[in-house]
Amino acid sequence: MPSPALGSQPPEDLPASRRRTELIMLVFAFAIVAFAFANTAFSLKGQRLSSLVAYMIAFVAIIIGAHLAVRRWAPYADPLLVPLAALLNGLGIVMIYRLHEAGRNGNPGPVNTQGTTIPITTLSSSAVTLQIVYTLLGIGCFVAFLVFVKEPRVLQRYTYLLGLIGVILIALPAFLPSSISGVAGTGAKIQIAIPGLGSIQPEEFAKLALAASFAGYLVAKRDVLSLAGRRVLGIDLPRGRDLGPIAVVWLVSLMLLVAESDIGTSAVFMGLFVAMIYIATSRTSWLLIGFVSFVGGAFLAAELFSHVGTRFSIWLHPFSQQNLIDYPQASYQLVQGLYGMANGGLLGRGLGNGLPYWTPLVQSDLIFTAFGEELGLAGVMALLLIYGLIVQRGLRTALMIKDPYSKLLAGGLSFMLALQVFVIVGGVTRLIPLTGITTPFLSQGGSSLVASWILIAVLARLSDTARRPPPRPIQEEGLTQVVSVR
Amino acid sequence: MNRALKRISIAVLVMFLLLMINVNYLQGFEASSLSTRPDNIRAVSEANQYERGDIVTADGVLIAGTTPSNDFYKYQRYYTDGPVYAPVTGYDTIYSTSGVEEAEDALLSGNGSQLAFRNFIDMITNKPQKGATVYLTINSKAQLAAYEGLAKILAGKGRVGGVVALNPATGAILAMASYPSYNPNVLASHNGTTVNNYDEALLRENPSPLINNATQTTLPPGSTFKIVTSSAWFTQATTRNTSSMVYSPQVLTLPQTVNKLHNDDDEVCGSAGANGQTTILWAFSQSCDTTFGNLGIDLGGQTLNAMAERFGVNDPNLNIPGVTVAPSQYVIPDSPPLTAFSAIGQYSDTVTPLQEAMFAAAIANNGTLMKPYLIQQVTASDLTVVQATTPSVLTQQVVSPAIAGYLKQMMIAVVQDPQGTAFAYNEANEGGLEIAGKTGTAQNLLNGSSPNPDAVFTAFAPANNPKIAVGVIVQGGGYGAAAAAPIAVAVIQAYLATLGIR
Repeated sequence: MPSPALGSQPPEDLPASRRRTELIMLVFAFAIVAFAFANTAFSLKGQRLSSLVAYMIAFVAIIIGAHLAVRRWAPYADPLLVPLAALLNGLGIVMIYRLHEAGRNGNPGPVNTQGTTIPITTLSSSAVTLQIVYTLLGIGCFVAFLVFVKEPRVLQRYTYLLGLIGVILIALPAFLPSSISGVAGTGAKIQIAIPGLGSIQPEEFAKLALAASFAGYLVAKRDVLSLAGRRVLGIDLPRGRDLGPIAVVWLVSLMLLVAESDIGTSAVFMGLFVAMIYIATSRTSWLLIGFVSFVGGAFLAAELFSHVGTRFSIWLHPFSQQNLIDYPQASYQLVQGLYGMANGGLLGRGLGNGLPYWTPLVQSDLIFTAFGEELGLAGVMALLLIYGLIVQRGLRTALMIKDPYSKLLAGGLSFMLALQVFVIVGGVTRLIPLTGITTPFLSQGGSSLVASWILIAVLARLSDTARRPPPRPIQEEGLTQVVSVR
Repeated sequence: MNRALKRISIAVLVMFLLLMINVNYLQGFEASSLSTRPDNIRAVSEANQYERGDIVTADGVLIAGTTPSNDFYKYQRYYTDGPVYAPVTGYDTIYSTSGVEEAEDALLSGNGSQLAFRNFIDMITNKPQKGATVYLTINSKAQLAAYEGLAKILAGKGRVGGVVALNPATGAILAMASYPSYNPNVLASHNGTTVNNYDEALLRENPSPLINNATQTTLPPGSTFKIVTSSAWFTQATTRNTSSMVYSPQVLTLPQTVNKLHNDDDEVCGSAGANGQTTILWAFSQSCDTTFGNLGIDLGGQTLNAMAERFGVNDPNLNIPGVTVAPSQYVIPDSPPLTAFSAIGQYSDTVTPLQEAMFAAAIANNGTLMKPYLIQQVTASDLTVVQATTPSVLTQQVVSPAIAGYLKQMMIAVVQDPQGTAFAYNEANEGGLEIAGKTGTAQNLLNGSSPNPDAVFTAFAPANNPKIAVGVIVQGGGYGAAAAAPIAVAVIQAYLATLGIR
């Protein structure tokens, strides 16, 4: 029996667009963000209320723009996607505002045991404005996607082009000099720095391009992949020639791992591919092959490359003398994040009252620990539920939609979002080794935010397609059907 | 494809469940152990985000307070007359605490469980959390007199000294001064480099200013130990009193050895003559070593040890909140000659200034020794008392009231009798104040740098209605009456002046 939540279609004669629901939910999200802004402002010294109001108005205006675009170009889209994403985005802005404010009032920063002062924040004074500009860019891309991609299946035409773009985007930083592609303070080479303007992390967009490309490839090849092959030890093995693409992807992800020191992204990337191939073929063998090859590759890399091995050591023994005390204090960041979350406890210190700035790079990779410290267990559980809801709406869309390409794309993107949250939140809470990737919507930085909004745009377009009522005939039966397509 | 999608959904559900369980474990269960890890500077920093409670003396002088700070922390700890009160308050650095700051840290920082309900109310009413105020038993005038007295004698000498004053009736510590001292204000700095540099400088200094010489340094008691020897002798037979005759030779020939025990400057003990007898009162007031050496041999090490322990010696469990106490020692000698030396406060006898004060306090309180304490009470920010100390007895009747009366009479004689060793501080000289005391001038073989003996004085006053008992030890100070007694008298005068007693 199909569950009503998953299988229900709007009644034929009453197509519910549910845009009103979306608006109400948006107002709810705005209220929470505004409250969080006010809460932060009252806790911190030296805040300027006028700038806060300006930030809030800009944020609301941008998101309302997204809502209007959905009304116009995707009227049947899932009503929760935009409000949930907007809530996360808004809370991210509040946290960046809070982290940036902590550096004011002439605070020199904490002093470490060597007696040197650690800069209290690496955020520039324009960080909040920039993040709002990034939000605007993200919503711009969101709207553009809805305007230009009316039908998700058109993406299927560009399967190989998207794949090529994806691989080039991923590989590009590896071939650029470290001065352009290196991230300061880490060994990772994952960005393209444009002097005077900032930097772009191409992998954020590559993940989306590759997901669309995989979907196209797998829809074309799913029959061969699932049917041809031999059966060994009860497992259906695919044919050697069909293994080609997975081998390529495996190598590309290993390349990421090694050449760019980007373990987190390669895990997301590999997980995305394995999940999509599994959805396409329903063959457990692919899960096994993908999982075993990634774990095998990771362990091999841990043995061969010291920086990968260090990640495992930090995960297993974060408090050891070697990792925490001795230079270069490899586990310092993780441990500070854990201390932050411990400091938050059940209800948190309250926005503006914690000490999240003691965690290095707290505004990007470890922003989740800042929420843990200031909003407590209650707050981070809520954040996880918001992420979970977005993923659930995406998977629900995948189940509802009929076209296999769209189904695969929706499922893959939803899983990718879930995996990304799992990798970074699991990493900072020491469930799995910490690998630096961004926290979708929350982390400071434009590439991640824009890419996340594009992901929401794709899901919105797919859910719009899934929920749109069938075209209604506008003349009598029996004649050639002329239909009205909105 | 939907079957696979549903399985993927289950996988996603499991992933999110794992995250949620892990976050719950981390913030709900593991949080307290993470927060107490020594390298967790957040805990220290968090404490400095609240207004730490004040430390106040019994007469209302604020000796440790906080001011709003404009740097990384919201509040800065400061100490009034830092070096004077350093052995009392201890320090509160960004890394560690000591003294009262350590003992009452939970209440001072406002995190103690007794304050949990008030903090909850404060949270609801949006009042900032504030630590509780600690009221000490210290009298600021007595403390200042004690420290200044020590500083006057010891400044730049590289030797140590300590003073403790007690209320004999309760055991309340009225003064606790140590020299050399340090400035806790520097240690309270929020700049880690400043703290580390000062700490390293203090650790390099010898003698270390970080040691509280009033309670942690033990030195020979010298003749003040004759209080113990006399107490043991009186206790041995109830027929004895201060008029009882004791053997007081000019030179005491020690058994089993060729060594002989002489009095100071080889004097004759009073009117006794070279081999004569004299009253114990006379021998005590003149501090005849031969008399008490001989009594010690007669009493034996076991008896002396038992009496010393009744006064609090050899007690490793003397636990005074906010004070680190090193036990004073009496080692039972294995031969009569050594017993003779131990009976006059030499051999292996070592005591703290606190113990010296306890000798006088027990006598002053009719023989009952009260347990010393420093923290009178702790009050929350709404002025309700969350913790209070009630005086308790350490030893009920160290000696009987009658014997305490004999000892008092003898200690009065030390100061008031023209032949007494501390006659310089007699009633006439001290403006009518009758002080009772005992001097000590201890040979200290460990004083390599100083040829002088250690000066010791223990006293209480007013003799007939004791309000204060003081113990003073000045390492290498010379005669007890010359170096230690003036400090004790100054402390007594300063304290009694606040009570309106002259």
